[in-house]
Amino acid sequence: MSVSKKIVLLGHFGVGKSSLLRRFVENTFSENYTVTIGVHIMKKEVHLEKDNITLVIWDVEGTDDFTKYRSSYLMGASSFIYVFDASRPITYGDIKYNLEHLKEKYPHVSAHIIGNKVDLVDPDVLLNDLKAQDIQHSYLSSAKTGENVELLFKNVAAQLLENA
Amino acid sequence: MLNKLRQEFLENTTQLLIVNNTNQVLDTDDSLFSIKKGSDITDFHPFFHVISSLFEDDRKQQKFYCVQMEIKGKTCFFDIRSQVDFEKKQVVLFIEDLTDHYKTLHQIKQVRNESIINFNITQELNHQLNVERGFKNKFLANVSHEIRTPLNSILGFLSVLENTSLDREQLDIIGIIKDSSKNLVAIVDDLLDISKIEAGHLEIKNKRFDFKKFTKSLVKTYDLQANEKRLQFVTDIGTNIPKFLIGDQLRLNQILINLLENALKYTHQGTVTLRISTTSRNMRRIPVTFEIIDTGIGIPKEYLTTIFESFTQLEKRGLFGGSGLGLSIVKQLTQLMDSNLEVSSKENEGSTFKFTISLGVSHDQKEEKETPVIRNSEKRSGGSKKKKYRILLGEDIEVNQLLMMRLFADEGTYSLDIAKNGEQVVLFLEKYQYDLVLMDLSMPVMDGYDAAMRIRNHTDKKIKKIPIVALTARTTEEERDEAKECGMNAYLTKPINSDLLFKTIDRLLHRYKPKKEKN
Repeated sequence: MSVSKKIVLLGHFGVGKSSLLRRFVENTFSENYTVTIGVHIMKKEVHLEKDNITLVIWDVEGTDDFTKYRSSYLMGASSFIYVFDASRPITYGDIKYNLEHLKEKYPHVSAHIIGNKVDLVDPDVLLNDLKAQDIQHSYLSSAKTGENVELLFKNVAAQLLENA
Repeated sequence: MLNKLRQEFLENTTQLLIVNNTNQVLDTDDSLFSIKKGSDITDFHPFFHVISSLFEDDRKQQKFYCVQMEIKGKTCFFDIRSQVDFEKKQVVLFIEDLTDHYKTLHQIKQVRNESIINFNITQELNHQLNVERGFKNKFLANVSHEIRTPLNSILGFLSVLENTSLDREQLDIIGIIKDSSKNLVAIVDDLLDISKIEAGHLEIKNKRFDFKKFTKSLVKTYDLQANEKRLQFVTDIGTNIPKFLIGDQLRLNQILINLLENALKYTHQGTVTLRISTTSRNMRRIPVTFEIIDTGIGIPKEYLTTIFESFTQLEKRGLFGGSGLGLSIVKQLTQLMDSNLEVSSKENEGSTFKFTISLGVSHDQKEEKETPVIRNSEKRSGGSKKKKYRILLGEDIEVNQLLMMRLFADEGTYSLDIAKNGEQVVLFLEKYQYDLVLMDLSMPVMDGYDAAMRIRNHTDKKIKKIPIVALTARTTEEERDEAKECGMNAYLTKPINSDLLFKTIDRLLHRYKPKKEKN
């Protein structure tokens, strides 16, 4: 029996959290934007070198105010994946503030920062902007092309197993 | 009775489940979905993995709002309440189906979020456009500045060459080169104006001005030009317009010059009319309507909307020659004055450009006392017996030094010394006696601004009070203000107009004449 871990996808609305999840779990992508309300949960077993792990991924309704996240959604999370839209700077301008809030409330939960929709931007311009704002991103991904999606979930899973 | 009704109402919208701490279903009423007793509830939906966390939390009750689940191919939204019995190691789950409510909410949020995202994207595109526009404006301003410096030399030396012994053909050629260079100056000025307007750096500066004098000067200029083209220049200026108005005379002049020059350029026979009127005069502000009407070649209908675009219309049309910026500047200047430039035109019949601006009426309608202008030209050319005025020029570029030397060579009243930078200017002033300083602003070692500050803060009273004239290719309002703040008395832009240069020098020498010379 594989161990299961809860991961919560957080971030502003429209940044592609649900698209990342669908790309990872079902390997599908739709150009149409459908709002997530409340929470939508999917799970996937990830096969790693030595062990398997079941990721139970909570795709939570997007918001720019992290203080409004319901504590019941975040309870029991082993990891947060903070997703921003690389083509909309407004979705990463407040990362530091939101991360501070998460760290204060959930000090033992690791957070990974993902810049999604990189297919829409000039990577050099984006990297310069992130550097200027001192944002340490974990991955740049595209749910549309699949770039780095599998990799990021696998690495998060590996890290969770390591810390288990 | 009520209990029975309650049961009927809630039967299809709620479900009760009892699960133990190993996710095993102990009991269920199967109202919403059926699930086998004894089965692992996490196999039914991944949400139920949360049960293990419920036992790790101190709180007995939790509520999970709007949990989305696919049940028999249908998307449902549930609110789920949990109540843990830590002793029995059981949890009661109360599941409420609020699909209809949340679906309505979903539609509202879909519209709201889409509009916010679209707004963000538009905002980002605007930001990028502004960055690009900023780059373009900076580039234009820099290029214009770089072009002005060599142009200054070309025009200056052409004036010098014009006064040497030349035959008619040579004079004609110089005339052509001079006209072309002046056109180039006009284009550079237009480029600078466009970059300033687009960068939002151009401000309308409203000051009191003599409207009668202003129109008289315009009429005089264009009457002459119309005569040369055998056109009739008709003016119809409302007599009820007060003499002294408050507005931006400089920019109003720029608008009218552009429109009148176009009218004269594209009219080959007939008339060009300048009509200025107002409907009222007894107010603090009056609307003044300007109309420039010509009987020229007219503008085809399809170009009427594009003639105000900068750069682009040239390729399409080739009609409004020059830089292709004139009408764009006029349009934007009228907009800055809260007005709108209208055009009506018929091909081969003519065009009418019309705009109305609101101008202030000065309380003081009395004539200003004219400051006497000293005309020194006779004294200068005549090689006066009086002592020569010593002028010190601070200029680092050799070709500009040569030009100034050449201009001063024909003037008997002045002698000119040259310092290569601001530091040398100060040094020369301490060592020798001068009557006036001409100061380039961009110089190595010490620029003109710093040198002017050093002079104004000097301990020697005579040096401290010496008149300083800034000579520069820089044309922005900020630079002009900075020069003034540094204590410079006049500001002349390159290419230098020699007449204006000597008039300015005469005026300042007269104003700042040392006391002993006045007696």
